[in-house]
Amino acid sequence: MNKQMRQIKTVMFKEVKDNVRDKKTLMSSIFMGAVFMPIMFVVMINFVVGMQKDKAESQLEMAIQGANNAQSFISFIKTKGVKINEFSGDARKAIENKDEEAVIIIPEGFSEKFSRGIPAKIEIYYDATAKGSTNVTQRRIKALINEYSTTIGMTRLQLRGISPLLLKAIVVENHDVSTSQSKGAMMLSFLPYALILGLFIGSMYLAIDTMAGEKERNSLEALLLNPIKRSNLLIGKLFATISFGLITMVITLITFKLVMPFMPLEEMGMTVNLGFKNISILVMVLAPLAIMAASLQTIIATFSKSFKEAQTYVGMLMVIPMIPSMALMFMPVKEKLWMMFTPIMSQNLIINQIMRGEPVESISIILSIVGSLLTGLILALLAIKLYNRESLLFSD
Amino acid sequence: MIEVTAISKNFGEVQAVKDVTFTAPDSQVTALLGANGAGKTTSLRMIYSLITPQSGEILIDGIDPNKQPEKARKLLGVLPDTRGLYKRLTARENIEYFGKLHGMSDTEIVSRTKSLVKDLRMEDFIDRKTDGFSQGQRVKVAIARALVHDPQNIILDEPTNGLDVMSTRGVRSFLNKEKERGKCILFSSHVMQEVAAVSDVILIVNDGVISASGTESELHEQTGMNSLEDAFVHIVTDGVGHE
Repeated sequence: MNKQMRQIKTVMFKEVKDNVRDKKTLMSSIFMGAVFMPIMFVVMINFVVGMQKDKAESQLEMAIQGANNAQSFISFIKTKGVKINEFSGDARKAIENKDEEAVIIIPEGFSEKFSRGIPAKIEIYYDATAKGSTNVTQRRIKALINEYSTTIGMTRLQLRGISPLLLKAIVVENHDVSTSQSKGAMMLSFLPYALILGLFIGSMYLAIDTMAGEKERNSLEALLLNPIKRSNLLIGKLFATISFGLITMVITLITFKLVMPFMPLEEMGMTVNLGFKNISILVMVLAPLAIMAASLQTIIATFSKSFKEAQTYVGMLMVIPMIPSMALMFMPVKEKLWMMFTPIMSQNLIINQIMRGEPVESISIILSIVGSLLTGLILALLAIKLYNRESLLFSD
Repeated sequence: MIEVTAISKNFGEVQAVKDVTFTAPDSQVTALLGANGAGKTTSLRMIYSLITPQSGEILIDGIDPNKQPEKARKLLGVLPDTRGLYKRLTARENIEYFGKLHGMSDTEIVSRTKSLVKDLRMEDFIDRKTDGFSQGQRVKVAIARALVHDPQNIILDEPTNGLDVMSTRGVRSFLNKEKERGKCILFSSHVMQEVAAVSDVILIVNDGVISASGTESELHEQTGMNSLEDAFVHIVTDGVGHE
């Protein structure tokens, strides 16, 4: 091993040793990124899926005011197994206070209009912005009323000797071609973010400590006086930073693999295959990102005078991996080749493909690795260039 | 031996060092004496090639540190004015790290550390993590790590700044021993007693230039004063005298 390599190794090992000893901060960051997040993720998904399932299958209860005004409607919904709760008071208030999920008001003149064949009015009070189970309740109520309305309408036409089929100008036939996996993948689209974030969290602390920390401890000047090229010094520090990102990433993957059995995958209609092959693909495409994350964080930390300042700025970087994840969550796009060349986005797409059970093409993997590696190396070179400035010591 | 010829440096508008020339030979303690902001630290930083001089030449045992920084640094042991240690490492590990960066073998580091521990009296804390060390303990570790490669030339920026009497004496006697071993020692200070007690030759730095030099008694003669402090004031005020 030549002298340069030995020096780089010395710097790297020192930084790793130094930081492993800082158990409090370091472990909390690795723990947060690699263990807590995946577990939190599983708990959340279980909660959401469980809630939706419960509501969709549970007995529907309807708060109705003026049930006496529409006897036939009431007996119709009773045959559908709906439990009717007499309601009296202010419907608007009851929704606002979340006492009721929805309130139905049948006005006085209902049966009169109904028997004369004029559209009779039913009022529904609800909160369209409400989340989760309330939403399910609203949909079920509306569907019931529509069903009743259509049934009565058709009966009336038939009584007048008109085919109810005339009402149907168009019949819609649904062909849902999504595989069972891609339905549930919606829920899992947060996973790429969790994996990429784990990587960023893991290397963040070392980037700050090896750069801004060195300044804050006043140890930088003495360090620079050693007969080692600054570029080698920085490469050693970068390697240490990258290694922590990689370790965190691998632990995150292991945690995910371990918690997968606790995911409500069946209820979501999917089977995620986190076998050896897919795990290997994940490691391959995520690893180059570690270089990018570490270099980016190191560059930011170089400019910071103190630990605190660096923490603020490097913390803001966490938003970057969020952008493509969020974008893809809300506006799914068709994968194009250039996207596979774009770091973070390509990892997002590939992780999503694995989640959906689609095969990942080799060209995608290669482009993703090359793109991320190139970006990472360019950023690393920039970090080295910045570290070589004379003003490095005097930036304050 | 450190030879400095007409170096200068300015930071923006401020000319920190205008024209500094001197030679610090082996087996001698040379002191740069000057007020705060006189240009001592900047001069030293140029000598140990942390900053590049605008003009002038520096030679460390014949090596120009601006042309061959790594070679020159092997010949230099420097205690800068910032002397932070790695708090989560022990004193020994701090010294070891610098030894490795100097390319020393493990056995070399072990034996050199052993003699430094003895000379600087670090037995009590050498294997403790440096977090919470006293000022004196910190400076000793900082000196030890700076000199782990046993360099011929030793530069110290305000070495006893903030130290108590015992630590100061310890550092002084260590420097004397190094001088007896034939080392070239160059240090800066603004403390008269310190300079008087340790140095063989005093260089008075004022406003970025060396305005006088010589042994303590030579400076007394040049100025007609009988204390170093009076001589210093006489020189930096151009003979106008006390403020």
